Amino acid sequence: MSSGRKIGEPILVVDDVSLSFGGVRALQNVSFDVCEHEIRAIIGPNGAGKSSMLNVINGVYHPQIGTVTFKGETRHHVDPHYAASQGIARTFQNIALFRGMTVLDNIMTGRNLKMRTNFLQQALWVGPARREEMEHRLKVEEVIDFLEIQHIRKTPVGRLPYGLQKRVELGRALAAEPELFLLDEPMAGMNTEEKQDMCRFILDVNDQFGTTIVLIEHDMGVVMDLSDRVVVLDYGRKIADGKPDEVRGDQAVIDAYLGVAH
Amino acid sequence: MNWQFFLEVLAGGLLAGVMYSLVALGFVLIYKASGVFNFAQGGMVFFAALTFVSLVERGMNFWIALLATLAVMIGLGIAIERAVLRPLVNQPPITLFMATIGLTFVLEGLSQLIWGSQPHGLELGIPDEPIEWLSQNASINISQFDLFAALVAGILVAALALFFQKTRIGRALRAVADDHQAALAVGIPLRQIWAIVWAVAGFVALVAGLMWGARNGVQYALTFIALKALPVLILGGFESVAGAIVGGLIIGASEKLAEVYVGPFVGGGLESWFPYVLALLFLLVRPEGLFGEKHIDRV
Amino acid sequence: MFYREAGQFKSTYAGDQQIFPIRQDRIAFAILLAVAFLVVPLVANQYWFSAILTPFLVAALATIGLNILTGYAGQLSLGTAAFMAVGAFMAYNFELRMPWMPILFSFALAGLCAAAVGIVFGLPSLRIKGFYLAVATLACQFFVLWAIQRIGWFTNYSSSGVITAQKIVILGYAFDTPASKYLLTLSVVAGMALLAKNLMRSQTGRAFRAVRDMDVAAEVIGIRMMRTKLLAFAISSFYCGVAGALYAFAYLGTVEPEAFNLDLSFRILFMVIVGGVGSILGSFLGAAFITLLPIFLSVVSGWISHTFDVELSHAMLSNLELIIFGGLIIFFLIVEPLGLARLWQITKEKLRLWPFPH
Repeated sequence: MSSGRKIGEPILVVDDVSLSFGGVRALQNVSFDVCEHEIRAIIGPNGAGKSSMLNVINGVYHPQIGTVTFKGETRHHVDPHYAASQGIARTFQNIALFRGMTVLDNIMTGRNLKMRTNFLQQALWVGPARREEMEHRLKVEEVIDFLEIQHIRKTPVGRLPYGLQKRVELGRALAAEPELFLLDEPMAGMNTEEKQDMCRFILDVNDQFGTTIVLIEHDMGVVMDLSDRVVVLDYGRKIADGKPDEVRGDQAVIDAYLGVAH
Repeated sequence: MNWQFFLEVLAGGLLAGVMYSLVALGFVLIYKASGVFNFAQGGMVFFAALTFVSLVERGMNFWIALLATLAVMIGLGIAIERAVLRPLVNQPPITLFMATIGLTFVLEGLSQLIWGSQPHGLELGIPDEPIEWLSQNASINISQFDLFAALVAGILVAALALFFQKTRIGRALRAVADDHQAALAVGIPLRQIWAIVWAVAGFVALVAGLMWGARNGVQYALTFIALKALPVLILGGFESVAGAIVGGLIIGASEKLAEVYVGPFVGGGLESWFPYVLALLFLLVRPEGLFGEKHIDRV
Repeated sequence: MFYREAGQFKSTYAGDQQIFPIRQDRIAFAILLAVAFLVVPLVANQYWFSAILTPFLVAALATIGLNILTGYAGQLSLGTAAFMAVGAFMAYNFELRMPWMPILFSFALAGLCAAAVGIVFGLPSLRIKGFYLAVATLACQFFVLWAIQRIGWFTNYSSSGVITAQKIVILGYAFDTPASKYLLTLSVVAGMALLAKNLMRSQTGRAFRAVRDMDVAAEVIGIRMMRTKLLAFAISSFYCGVAGALYAFAYLGTVEPEAFNLDLSFRILFMVIVGGVGSILGSFLGAAFITLLPIFLSVVSGWISHTFDVELSHAMLSNLELIIFGGLIIFFLIVEPLGLARLWQITKEKLRLWPFPH
């Protein structure tokens, strides 16, 4: 369901991307685009290549063929640092939080591209370093308020239950104030209430900050409710692309999920 | 270019490399079966050698002393598994590695506490003299002892390879090395397997200890030989028996050659760091070694 | 009931992020500093200074250095002693060849030289991880030691390879008594510890810990691997270099390259493990523990000899020491992998409630 925000021009274009690992073809000639301010879902049976697609977009994997265009810049090879500096943030299927640190510290790491002081200034802890730390602490506290995790800000993340860890990971990505948000199964392993909370957060992020969101999700209800458009992958290929209702009725999609051989 | 001299140095180096491989084999065994990098292998070699030589000096028969030391090493292996590894079963590999560093110190102190700290000589009956046929007919000096060591290593490697590939226990060991949980799930008795592995590693340590002790004498410095096995493992990969041999040969040969041909220009003493720098350069090109398995990080 | 936090609220982020947020801690620390700087020099004797306090401080500094690299940034290093050696010998050479330079400046420059070496041997960490990196650091350890021994320039062509560290003279005042050397070392170590604490609390420290915990994720959020890892090596080596310089100038006096052998690297690593990885306080605790242990053992053995009329030989003692060191490492790794620092934290948490059980 959309809320009246204006969906703009394509901000991300994936063009003819193919990715293999040795003999395994993870992605084959996949092309689609994502428009600014929209919520785009990528769905498909297990092993379809969805996570690999996200990894290509933010530079963790490099495709053998094809390009990724973000904000007008076309690249064959993206590296993670470039992607992050351009405003792409993501969460991971298996939580990639920094276990040795507290919630607050984890989210603060998300601000690293916005921090300017060097290590000498930080060691001396005078003036600029101090001010910067407090400035960013303020921003991070806003994220903490937004995600309603104030009570656990000093807890080491390793001690948190799964659902809260996912929320903290969302917070770390949010702290970077991204323009494109890649979410890899944000609702996995959650109960109904947690899912509702997570949906609310995702919608709020899209609403309040206008962040473009690409999300991988298995829960069809969530996909149909949240997304503006859907891409369906199966065995590394794109088999459907369009509005949720169109895709739901597409025969190829139904076959893929039912496991009909093709 | 004096070819005979070159061949002599090369052969000497290769054979010295075989000695390194003997120590490296112990590492590979334990790593293959339990994923633990046993830094204490050097300490085990020292302990074995010292125990054997002290028993012999106290009048015990050679073969009985051998069996007795073997029993001690097996007991030691089981004790290590129970006291050190079992409590640390779920810890990250780096913790286990550091525990084996601690274990090295314990073994060194214990060996010397029990048997004293004087160096001992070790006689195996094979003289460290050139093979007559070769030295007379081809003017190349290759030590009989070195050749014997190479033979022993060869037999050991063949036996181990057979063990891993053909026997049920060997298969179980490989399963455990791959995935502990999965091995447990199919009913492989993890604890027993580990005890077996450490016992076998103890046996390998004993053989290595005997060879090194006969060559260099049994003394504290023996523990540092184990450090030299590390570059061997890097070249050969931590999980490959064949790699341990090939790696050892490469390290031994290059070390000797560097020492003899480059050494005089830089004041000698190259062997203290050359194998490590070589390993380092190698790692930059191929982080998983010649025979190692490539590690892919799934995110 | 003395350690109650009740009533101590923080109304600013700055207050929340202080090193000692609890007032009782601040008071305790102030007392500790007062004792260290004012009381000890008056009370302690020469033996205490030269055999216990100064070496403890030097070890603590080296431990902080290794902790930065291994504890915070997760890069295992077995080459600590090599960096200390660079610091010691370069400080000696700077003082020898440029005697007009203030000695603290020489120490700092020596630290920078160690940092440079650290960066060179840290380059492999961009490709190599874990044990492999440990072996690469062994290459550093052995190579650096060999270079210092063989290249005569480092030891000023001394035939025995032994150098004698120069006197420490700052602004005309000679630091040649054990007490004055202790105070100098204390000042340097306290200052550098504060810098390290600040650094580890700030974004650089967070970046280090991110690299340690999950480097792929760190990269994805924009932390530059190369810069972060090399910075860790550089800062760590700088600290070890300065520690090495202090080791030579304020503690040993005469130094030979062999003093910086693999054994010393292991000792410092043990201090990190026992004290607590990733903790500045832990570095001090670990250094104290490992420094005091041999002394404690010899006192105990002396007592045993005396009471039971048994002769405990020197060799036996040193072997016992080895066994106890190794055993302690294993013990700490099993029981409390986060070391003495964590035990201290648990104690404080219990103190908060004392005398109530919960």
